[in-house]
Amino acid sequence: MIPVEQLVGLILTAGELLLTCGAEMARVEETIERMGRAAGFVQVESYATPTGLFVSLHDAAGKVYTRVKRIRGGQSNIALIAEVNSLSRAFAAGEISAEEVQRALERLQEQGAPDSFSRKLIGGGGALAFAVMMGGGWREGLVAGVVGTLVLLVVSLMERRFPKVLQSAVGSMVAAAVIRCAASYLDLNVNVAIVGAVMVLAPGMVITTAIRDLLGGELVSGLSRSAEALVIAVAIATGVAVVLSLGGA
Amino acid sequence: MLVQTAMGFLAAVTFGYIFRVPANQSVRCGVVGGLGWAVFLAAQGHLGEVGAVFLAATAASVCSEVLARRHHQPVIVFLTPGIIPIVPGGKAYLTMLSFVQKDYTQGVVLLVTTLFLAGAIAAGIIITSAVFRNFSRTKLKGR
Repeated sequence: MIPVEQLVGLILTAGELLLTCGAEMARVEETIERMGRAAGFVQVESYATPTGLFVSLHDAAGKVYTRVKRIRGGQSNIALIAEVNSLSRAFAAGEISAEEVQRALERLQEQGAPDSFSRKLIGGGGALAFAVMMGGGWREGLVAGVVGTLVLLVVSLMERRFPKVLQSAVGSMVAAAVIRCAASYLDLNVNVAIVGAVMVLAPGMVITTAIRDLLGGELVSGLSRSAEALVIAVAIATGVAVVLSLGGA
Repeated sequence: MLVQTAMGFLAAVTFGYIFRVPANQSVRCGVVGGLGWAVFLAAQGHLGEVGAVFLAATAASVCSEVLARRHHQPVIVFLTPGIIPIVPGGKAYLTMLSFVQKDYTQGVVLLVTTLFLAGAIAAGIIITSAVFRNFSRTKLKGR
């Protein structure tokens, strides 16, 4: 049996992983509650926000363990959310022990996010699809696909070194500039191609989570995530706008 | 129409990769995305844009909730990439473009349309998830 302090840390780590991967608040709090009860605490209180996590666990003897964890922005990773979710369920159902959960969580924490070139190529495929869905032809689609891949490469070079806002702005500037230049050689619908290419930067997951949080009554995180999405969207728009107005659109 | 549905599928699968859904679920994300986009295109002529987006969001959410229950995954695995094709990214872009070109009237029109479309998506998601939460609790515990 692992010591109580470690058990508290374990629950906190699960919450932290979920938050950095962009889970909804309801899921984080539910998971902590579920794991806390399974670990034998009689009362579990948690308060999750996108930037911080507070947990209080009351044991049967009346002792209270309270921890605070500062959450720093991570990357959307739905697979990890699903993993932690099923881990906590298996733990609550008594199928796996606390030690096993700990090992699994450590493994998940280390594994992080492999960022391969193929991921960017696939992202470019998304840009292609969007350009065609917005009414573009194959030419717009192909240009958007190539530029979308390029944008993801640029963003991954800036990863961790620059704030997310700057990443988005620079990414969209690159997209707009390249497509604008390409348009002088090809007969292109510039707008459609640019929309497709910058969609890879759009904060899609943040928006969906923000909606789910807001409508689920999680006002603090709903609003802060909406603000995050808005800031990123404005950054993308500004990047494109700067290039287009320089190019005399 | 077939090409467009395929593109909706492709968009959802690729964005699934960007959001890192479990690899073995990405085809199902694509199905949700393709379905949403097809519903939108089919309904657009009859209901107008906002109504069509609402219907598409509802269809995508229903599909996600069903898949999530059948394959024991969180709903967001399917819903987040699946909803991507109907997100009004193009409208948001055109809004910005109008403002940059100092066409404020057009900009405000597009802005309001974008907000309505976003609201329609939110409504579709929340109504579906509320219905599923209330009526399927007994059949399957948790999501």
